[in-house]
Parts: sequence; C-alpha cells; structure tokens
Amino acid sequence: MIDQAMLDAAAASIVEQDKDKAEQVAREAVEKGLDPLAMISDGFTVGITRVGDLFDRGELFLPELIICSEIMKGVTEILNASIPAEDKKAGAKVLIATVEGDVHDIGKGIVVSLFNAHGFEVLDLGRDVPTMKIIEKAEEFGAQVIGTSALLTSTMEGQKKLEEALRKEGLRDKYKTIVGGAPVTERWAKRIGADAYAEDANDGVKKAFALLQ
Amino acid sequence: MKGFTFLTTEEVVKVHDATLQILENIGVSSSSEKFKELLLSNGCKEENGRIKLPADIVNKFLQKAPSTFKMRRRDDEPDLEIGARIGYSQICSGTPHVLDLETGKRRSYRLKDLEDLTRLGDALPNIDIVSCGVPTDVDEHGYMTTEVATMLRNTSKPARVPIESTVELPYIKELLALIAGGMDEFRENPFLYLEVSPLSPLDFAGLPADAIIELAQAGIPTGLIPCNMMGATGPMSLIGAVAQQNAEVVTGIVAAQMVNPGLPVIMSPRVTFIDMKSGAGLWAAPEVGLAGACSIQLAQHYNIPVSVSAFSVASKVPDQQSGYERCFNYICATLAGCDIYAAAGSLDNALIACYGQLVIDSEIASMGKRITRKIEVTDEALAVDVIAEVVNSKSSFLEQKHTRKFLRAGELWAPQISDRSTFAHWNEKGESIAQKARNTAADLLKTREPIMEPAAEKEIDRIIQSARK
Repeated sequence: MIDQAMLDAAAASIVEQDKDKAEQVAREAVEKGLDPLAMISDGFTVGITRVGDLFDRGELFLPELIICSEIMKGVTEILNASIPAEDKKAGAKVLIATVEGDVHDIGKGIVVSLFNAHGFEVLDLGRDVPTMKIIEKAEEFGAQVIGTSALLTSTMEGQKKLEEALRKEGLRDKYKTIVGGAPVTERWAKRIGADAYAEDANDGVKKAFALLQ
Repeated sequence: MKGFTFLTTEEVVKVHDATLQILENIGVSSSSEKFKELLLSNGCKEENGRIKLPADIVNKFLQKAPSTFKMRRRDDEPDLEIGARIGYSQICSGTPHVLDLETGKRRSYRLKDLEDLTRLGDALPNIDIVSCGVPTDVDEHGYMTTEVATMLRNTSKPARVPIESTVELPYIKELLALIAGGMDEFRENPFLYLEVSPLSPLDFAGLPADAIIELAQAGIPTGLIPCNMMGATGPMSLIGAVAQQNAEVVTGIVAAQMVNPGLPVIMSPRVTFIDMKSGAGLWAAPEVGLAGACSIQLAQHYNIPVSVSAFSVASKVPDQQSGYERCFNYICATLAGCDIYAAAGSLDNALIACYGQLVIDSEIASMGKRITRKIEVTDEALAVDVIAEVVNSKSSFLEQKHTRKFLRAGELWAPQISDRSTFAHWNEKGESIAQKARNTAADLLKTREPIMEPAAEKEIDRIIQSARK
C-alpha cells in the first residue's frame, strides 16, 4: 500500500503545476520501490484528471493545461522505466499529425495536451507528415484513433488521401479517424469517409471517447 | 480627418526599432531556397539556418514600396485609391460556412455562395472589394482559378484572394490578361490583389515564400497577411504581437521589393488570439481592433497601404453581439485611418459568411465614411451670419438657403437600411435589422446584370477547364 500522503502529493504537484515537486515525488516513489502503476493511476492521474475538469469548466487557462500535461509526461516517463514489461497497461492510443504539405501545428498542439490530460496515450508526429508515414507509425504505435489536421484548402486533400490509403491497405476498419482544421467541415468528413469531424480540441476528445465506446 | 493616434510618434518608432531588432538578431526561417537566395544576394546574412536582415537593408527596401496605387473598377465608377486612407470595405475570405439566406441556418459554403455574395457585394454601395470563402463543392484541381473567375465574372469591383501557392498562377494570369487586354494593361491598372501568409513566428514556408517572389515577378499587387495569435504563435502582450507581426509583414514586403522595386504592396497584419479556455481561434473585439490600429500607425510610419480585420467578430449570428463587436474593431481602424477594412459579412471568427451581415456592414461602412470625412471649418460652415439672420428675423433655420444647401451637400448621413422612422411606422412590420438585412440581400440578388460579354465568358470557361486538367 502506498501512503495516502504520497498519492496526494503526486496529485497536488500536477494541479499546482509544480514540475520539480512532481519529479521529486516520482523519483522518491521509485527509490522506495513503490508500485509505479499505482503511483500513476491513484496519484498523478488523479491530478491530471482534476486539471482536465478545471480546464473543461473554464477555470484553468490553456497554457496552464499544457504545462500540467508536460509535467505529467515527465513523471510518467520516470515511473514507466521501473514498470516490468508484462505489467504495462496501455491507455487508449491516439496518433496525431498535421497532413503533408501543411506546416501549421499550434492547434494540433492544443489537441495533444487535451488528449494527454484525458488519459490518452498520444503519439504526435508533428507537421507536414506524408500519408504513408502516418499509417506506418500508426501500425508501429498500435494506435486506435488517428487524428489529422489541415489548415489549408490545398492540404485538406491529405485527409482524403489517408482514408483512401487506409482502404487500399485493408486497414480502414482497424482505426477510427478524426479530422479537424479551420477549413474542415462535417460535410468534408462525410465526403472522404472519416469517422468523425472535430470542431475544436474539446470536441476531438469527446468524439474519440464516443468512437471508442 | 486627422488620424486618431493610439501610439505616440516615439512609441511607433520604438515598435519599429523592435521590428528591426527582431529581423537583425532573430531573423526569419524559410524552406524556400529561392527565398533565402533572394535575401542573401541582397545583403542579408545566414546564421544558424536563419536569415538575418540588417536594419539598413530593411529600411532601404521598405522605401521602394509605393505609398499609393490605384485599383481599377471595371465599370464607370472611380478607381480605388489604395494608400489614400479612404477606407474601403472588403468581403471576408476563408469562410468554410455560410448562413443560408433562406433558412438562416449554418451550412457549408458553396460555389453558388461565392457567386451570390460577389453579386451582393457588387450591388452594395459601400462594399468596395470582393473576396472568396472556401467553396466545399469545388474540385481541388483548378480551385483558385475557379474562385478568381467566379468573382471577376460577377462584379466589376476589384477582387482579392489569399493564396497558398502559385500552382495556378499561369491560369490566373491568363484570366487577368483576358479581362485587362494583356498583362501589361493589368499591371498598369490592376483590379485584383493576391495575399500571402507568412507563418508566425517568423517563418516563410516554401510555397508561400516562392509565391511572394513569383507574384512580384508577375507584377501582381501583393498583400502580406500573417495571422499570429497572442500567447500561441506570438507574444501574449498585444504590442509584442504587433511588433512580431510587423517584422513578418516587413520581411515579405522587403523581399517583394527586392524582386520588383515599386511593386504595389499592402501590409495586412492580423493579430488575433486564442480563447485560453478552449483553444478556439478568436478574431474578436476589442484586441483585434486595437492591434489593427497599432499596425495601421506603423504602416503610416512607412507610408505603405494597410488592411486590417475590421469587421471580424466571435458572434455566430447577426445579432447585438455581432453589432457591438464589429463596431469596436471597425472604429479602431477607422479612427486610425485605414485603407482596407477586411472581413465584411463575417461571423464566428471569420468562419461563417452571412448575406444579411454583408448588407449591415455596407451600412456600417457608409457611417464610417461619414465619420472620416474631413470637417470643413470654413466661415460658411461656421454660419455666424446665418445664426444672426435667424435670430434677428425671429425665423428658423428651416427657411434658410444655407440649410437647403448643406442638406443637399450631404451634411447628414443617409441610412440605407437602418430604421429611423416613428414607432408607429416601424411597428407596422416590427422588423429587426437582421431580418430586414436578409430581405434586402434577397431582393438585391433577384436582379442580375451581366458583367462580361458572352465571348469573354466562353473564354473564361475554357481557362477554368484547362486549370482543372
């Protein structure tokens, strides 16, 4: 059993956006040989879930959400290193990328943070990512959801190409696809055969939860 | 009207100095070899993969940009004098949605909307420049050619298109040459300008960077339109975001002038921000208006034409919120003394186009023109003798010739759609301005005047077809 004070300190460090404290708690847990999975699920995750709630209620600003998500990522890495391979449990996995030819990614960064805050395991491929690379990485990562963003009318085509390529490779049913970006619409999502259209980051998380149920 | 100043002269110079520091010490990045080569061969330096622009080079090429240029109307109306701070209103671009004219509900923007909104803009007296949304029913091939052609065949007013690359430039040039009677004629009397977006912070992606060069080579008036977002792709402080944005615009202008000295250019900074509680991009009041006003003062400092997003709002329908938001953004630009007020007819942070709102914006623009008209302080206008005459004769001003003369000369602003009748008269219909504007839009769209000759129409079809291949 882990001391409740230790779990509370873990949760609080995330809510308080205190990177040093969070890493110190994580290292202390590793040194004491505490169960890393329990430290994550009963400690730090309690904090990040609270952060997600606060953000959803409009009480936390985006830059604060992002720093909490970064801290969470850091402590998870520290604790993950001491989890025996056979005990590793994966959360829902989401791959996110801005499509080929498109170099805009600030909106995608927000989506990544929000997915992290909601307990998803996220692989962010960055911007200007070729279609086949998205598929290759999704296979490697074992993603359940592929989210793509396009900010330009000329690059939206990349979302269509992804759908076509997934169908061609016989992988379409393996993934749920979500599309987003300023010029992207529900109509576009339907037209290309994506599973969902997300209007903003919050909507993306909601759609991902709905698709995975 | 003398421009209302938000910043003192010293403060404007300070922002300019910050701009020079950004360009000289931080520099810009670009994945375009052509763009890098252009800057380097004109005195800029490369350090750690970034191109640094020395202050003397920036100042030298900024001076080559013309302070004014004309945009031709293809009918008998006077040309637009860009740079004269007259304040022209321009339809919003980039809208993927529209409020349906009949149902009032949001749906995807289609090519027919581009056609109709262009025709509506053509019919509205205070909408001066048309632009295009994002039609969702147009094939990706020949997309821009279709947009440009659709606008030019539905209005004789000038048009503006933001472009992402120059893939379709040959076809657009063909269209311009066809309508102007040759590219030389177009360059002499342009009726279209194209805009390119640097990527904040301080990056010029490959295709847009190449576009700056190719537009300058083609002699097409070019706007530089970065859209940084305070706290996300620019500093959280408003003036910091303005300075960074200015550095991006200035770099584009300097590059264009290096290619083609004297090319007509427009500074089109768009400092926006995000809702820090949701991440949604906001083009809302009052910061968009305030940042726009500061950018206008910088453009005036350089003596280069400027456009800002004056009509943009966060409201989703043409309601009271839409009214007060756009008025705050618009009035900042108006008081500062702007050339082009962008985003007319838009809602939801430039994501929705709205027919009725465009009618209302034409009304707002006409009020803006009244506000910026110079107040002539002459003996005749001061009317001391008229006051004496009325007082001494115990009559009223109603009988005075002075009254008739000033009235006829337009001393009072004349509304097009605003209701200023008595309550009883208004109550007969009891219509809101949003309903009235929508009805006005529907009425204006009933009549259709052909803009082009049938032979030219046929030729345009051919150009669109070749672009689609």
